Amino acid sequence: MTFIRRKRHLAVAAVLLATGVAACGDDEDSSGGSSGEAVTLAVNPWTGSAVNAYVAKAIIEAELDTAVEIIDIDENATWVGLDDGSIDAVLEVWPSGHAQDYETYITGKGTVVDLGLLGPAAKIGWYVPKFIVDAHPELATWEGFQNPELAKLFATAESGDLGQFTMGDPSYVTYDEQIIENLGLPLDYVVAGSEAALLTAIDQSVADQKPILMQFWKPHWKQLEVELVEVTLPEITPECEAALASQDGSYACDYPVDNLYKAANAGLEEKNADVFALLSKLTLTTEQQSEIAGYVDRDGMTAEAAAKKWVEENPDVWQAWLA
Amino acid sequence: MAVSVEALPTHESEEVVAARQRRRVIGFGVFAALAVVAVVLAHEVPEWMDSGIQDWAQDRYKWSIVNRQSAPMFEYFFNPISDFLDWSVRQVESLLLWLRWPGVVALTAAVGWRTGGARAAFAGGVAMFGVGVISDWDLAMRTLSIMTVAVVIALVLGVPLGIVTARSDRAERIVRVLLDTAQVMPIFVYFSPVQILFGIKFPPAVVVTVIYALPPAVRLTNLGLRQVPVVMNEVGESFGATSMQQLFKVQLPLARRTILLGLNQVIMMAFGVVVLASLLGTGDLGQVVLSALQKQQVGLAFAAGLGIVLMAVALDRVSTGERLGGTSWLARALPTVPKKTASVMAIVLPALAILAGRVFDASGFPDGLRWDISSPVDDAVGWVQDNLRTGVPLIGGTQAINDFLINHALDPVRDLLQGAPWLLVVVAFAFLGWLSKGWRLAATMAVCLLLIATMGYDNKTLIWDHAMDTLSQVLVAIVISIAIALPLGMWAGRSDRVERVLRPFLDIAQVLPQFVYLLPVVFLFSIGRAAGVVACVIYAIPPCIRLTSLGMREVPYAPREAAISFGATGRQEMRNVQLPLARKAILLGINQTMMMVLATVIIAALIGAGGLGLLAYRAAAKPQTDLGLGTAGGLSIVLLAIMLDRLTQAWGAGGETDRGA
Repeated sequence: MTFIRRKRHLAVAAVLLATGVAACGDDEDSSGGSSGEAVTLAVNPWTGSAVNAYVAKAIIEAELDTAVEIIDIDENATWVGLDDGSIDAVLEVWPSGHAQDYETYITGKGTVVDLGLLGPAAKIGWYVPKFIVDAHPELATWEGFQNPELAKLFATAESGDLGQFTMGDPSYVTYDEQIIENLGLPLDYVVAGSEAALLTAIDQSVADQKPILMQFWKPHWKQLEVELVEVTLPEITPECEAALASQDGSYACDYPVDNLYKAANAGLEEKNADVFALLSKLTLTTEQQSEIAGYVDRDGMTAEAAAKKWVEENPDVWQAWLA
Repeated sequence: MAVSVEALPTHESEEVVAARQRRRVIGFGVFAALAVVAVVLAHEVPEWMDSGIQDWAQDRYKWSIVNRQSAPMFEYFFNPISDFLDWSVRQVESLLLWLRWPGVVALTAAVGWRTGGARAAFAGGVAMFGVGVISDWDLAMRTLSIMTVAVVIALVLGVPLGIVTARSDRAERIVRVLLDTAQVMPIFVYFSPVQILFGIKFPPAVVVTVIYALPPAVRLTNLGLRQVPVVMNEVGESFGATSMQQLFKVQLPLARRTILLGLNQVIMMAFGVVVLASLLGTGDLGQVVLSALQKQQVGLAFAAGLGIVLMAVALDRVSTGERLGGTSWLARALPTVPKKTASVMAIVLPALAILAGRVFDASGFPDGLRWDISSPVDDAVGWVQDNLRTGVPLIGGTQAINDFLINHALDPVRDLLQGAPWLLVVVAFAFLGWLSKGWRLAATMAVCLLLIATMGYDNKTLIWDHAMDTLSQVLVAIVISIAIALPLGMWAGRSDRVERVLRPFLDIAQVLPQFVYLLPVVFLFSIGRAAGVVACVIYAIPPCIRLTSLGMREVPYAPREAAISFGATGRQEMRNVQLPLARKAILLGINQTMMMVLATVIIAALIGAGGLGLLAYRAAAKPQTDLGLGTAGGLSIVLLAIMLDRLTQAWGAGGETDRGA
């Protein structure tokens, strides 16, 4: 008896489900009405990336009458999406970390196209908190770290007698191990494993006034919050450029500047030529990008609201991209 | 009581004892000789042992990248699956959103009512309501859609597989190895390959979730069917039932409880991967956790994490239907309704809720009902961070513990394992296997370690050395976990009050995404292996406490009472009667602890633990160059896990050894 009754309930549940599925069909269709085919822009997990994408979204939706979907996604997955067209464009790629992807997808398969430079230049480097440079001005350049006594200021239980050099997320490009070895510095290389862990280590360093030496970069919101000083590394020499090309492990210079660029799926031009043209022309100066990022990181706005605010206030800048 | 008979000494003839002694002497002799050979032979893993597996994996990956648009296996296999998964998740999501929040809460409660009565209905409904109170409702529904599709697929694949394995021992052996490997293999290693095979967003997220959720479905279906008493099968047979009738009318109904337990585990495993799966672009609650952590907003991450926990709890309570309704205060407090009325209500009330939700257009969760827990959590975390690091009386603080762990536990063990001649390590673990069970286990241990030696190099470092580093962390973490969990578990096993106090903490510690507490741990302990060990311990102790407590409670009262009537003190009774009888459950707890530690040692790479975990993570971080390397690291973790699992299982199995064989 109970068995039969249970069956009846299942049937009722199934009917409920079915009506639900049928009914939600009506719900979903209301999002249409755009003239151009909808596009998807990737946002990688940092403020600059979100700011660019939401600026583009605001303009495309208002001026080109095209719906824009934003997808928050990991950097490597972004290239897979660009390759198969589930992502139409990404507006901020750091070339240093994606040389392989450029080779595979842009020059190799040709499924992804280079949309030109975004504008801002970024720079990876060695950083220390300002308080340690105040106490030991020699530590503002790499030569200061040759002194084992000074290097030892950065020692931890993990690094023993050597100073500890901390690297963040292993997906970022790193020559630090080579630089340490080739310059003969008394440092031990430790991978923190994630950007979040590295940021926490900075907080800890400031709280204890215990110095930290690490790979860090500009622009980054943490630079607004904590005073960090970039350690001067040897200037880039032709030998170092050769070492980069040959990957022979002899690199011993500063990091090259990262000129951020944009990339799109090769089919975007055909799919929505207006959007393709706009994204090709879209550029921001470093100041413009940090202004919008500041609304987010300093004032706590969402990236979407910050972008809207900037777009409303600066029509002359983006009108040129539409021409 | 079979248990008490086992404890009695059995009488053996003198020849048997003498023969055993002889075999033991031979065994010791063999291992001593092997140890000498090992020391003489080689200090480091020789280069010719590199199997080239890294290049093999890297080449497969490269080929797939180049051919994913054109190869037939994509066109006719992966792409259609991917489309179907994407469609399914979107359908479920729009259904959940169409139901509006009152509908979802009411339906959850109604399902609970059907499966477990008032208590399950209440627990499920409140938990689901809590999801909206604590976190973002729409994002939560997206997580729920991915989970629902993954859980359904895990059951659709897992139950039949479980039936097959229950009917064939050979199938069971093969499937077991595959499942063990799939489950212990770090998720980071799957990451890039599933993207290439299934694209981005929902489909690969469902696939990785299924990989982790499938094993318990298979395992517990298998177990449930195998536990069906032979008598029952014979009864069916004597009535002339066909094999299929036997299965559906006799075995499956009798195995129902165990299979339901499997469902509970499937749900828990599935929710365990939500946060990482969001890296694939799912844009759900897991994504909130990750992006909050990126900005060091621990409170926000905690709130989203708690939302995930509540969803898991809601699904768990209503799907397994805790049938405790009759005894709970709640069931007594609620007016008793005739069964028929109750059934009607279980349909009418949700229908009314859905109607109300649609009429008042309750899209999203009302702001007035939301509770922002992120700032109190941030305050609490801040207090902990400010006060526990230094200046704690006696122990000094977490910084002192950090230095102590590295200098006096992690470094010595690592140096021992890395510094010893590698073959000596192999022989030592084989010897341990022989002592625990016999020659067969000795061979398993040796083969696992030898395979790790074939994994090659990371730049100039041997993968072997990374493996020894990870092994040292695992061993330290296991010892600490057991030292904390066993006493707590014993205490909880003897006191209901302690059990009640501990239970919610255990629930949260087990389901809360580990990421949420990684940053406070880093702040307290500094980047490095010690922080990693602490993260492992937090995650690994709940199952050990739980199983110890359960084991203590399941000890029959008669032998305990007998001991007391003979004048044993409470302490004597515990040590000499209750603990020995709970041994099996406690050892199972230790086995689980170890598996949890191995799972977390990977995540610990995100806070500086290095070792194999970092290699595995590099497979996801730089797939174009490091996928092969990460695969080798991941396989090494699997091999370590198989070793340690078989070893602790041997302890749990008790005296039956094949040392003499």
